[in-house]
Amino acid sequence: MGEFQTDAELVSRALAGSDTAFSRLVERHQAAVRGFLRRALGSGWAEADDVAQDAFLAAWRSLRSLKDATAVRPWLCGIAWRKAQDRVRTSRRGAARDSVWLETVELPSGLSHEDRLSLAAAMGELPADVRACVALCLADGWSHGEAALALDLPLGTVKSHVARGRARLLKALGGPDDA
Amino acid sequence: MTPEQKLQALFTAEAPPARDHAFQARVAQRIALRRAWMTVVALVPWGVAATTVLWALIPVIEPLTRELTTLMPAAIALAGVAVSAVAAQALSRRFSAG
Repeated sequence: MGEFQTDAELVSRALAGSDTAFSRLVERHQAAVRGFLRRALGSGWAEADDVAQDAFLAAWRSLRSLKDATAVRPWLCGIAWRKAQDRVRTSRRGAARDSVWLETVELPSGLSHEDRLSLAAAMGELPADVRACVALCLADGWSHGEAALALDLPLGTVKSHVARGRARLLKALGGPDDA
Repeated sequence: MTPEQKLQALFTAEAPPARDHAFQARVAQRIALRRAWMTVVALVPWGVAATTVLWALIPVIEPLTRELTTLMPAAIALAGVAVSAVAAQALSRRFSAG
């Protein structure tokens, strides 16, 4: 029964004090938030999951500030993005993105470990805003408008960030310079 | 594989599972802990207020407790009689015919 509830219904129930409803929201959006953070932080999945937990906890505390209950995912990713920025600032690990964790990840066929390291290195060299736009629009297939809403950036900025980031990543994976 | 396909495949490989009960449990645990702390924090002002009121009432309560101490044996006896009466009434109702 709970499977077919909309986000708006779950938000309404969570606001009334239902932890079960909030758990359903976590279940529904955890993959998107964690995937976004893994790509945006690039410093290891454990840290990304840690930030994701912080983000969900902050979302639970500030659920009343959610203006549009049908746009839970961009709202959650916006909170996650701010938490990620805080984490990078405080831990000062933004520049020292370790790649040891990458070796533990299984690769799809047709891809080499060098490809993965190249992508990680290229993502690491992107400015944080560009990386976040790439993570949402290229990796998760969000529209530019949704990403602009989540990251609180102008639409034109998101479009140019995605184009620039895409070109750099493709170049790192063997594409032409003007990809 | 073209660079475009590689990019998509690498991004897909990083995607977390659609369902992860361990992650959900950790979030639920942290929420429960936060709720418990919020409850404790919310009770602190009430505890302080109750302590303050009791402290302010000490001059009034202390003579009463002294008087109550002298009346305690009689009060216990009266309570015993009352309980016995209620029990007797309940039993008589239970075992009465009809």
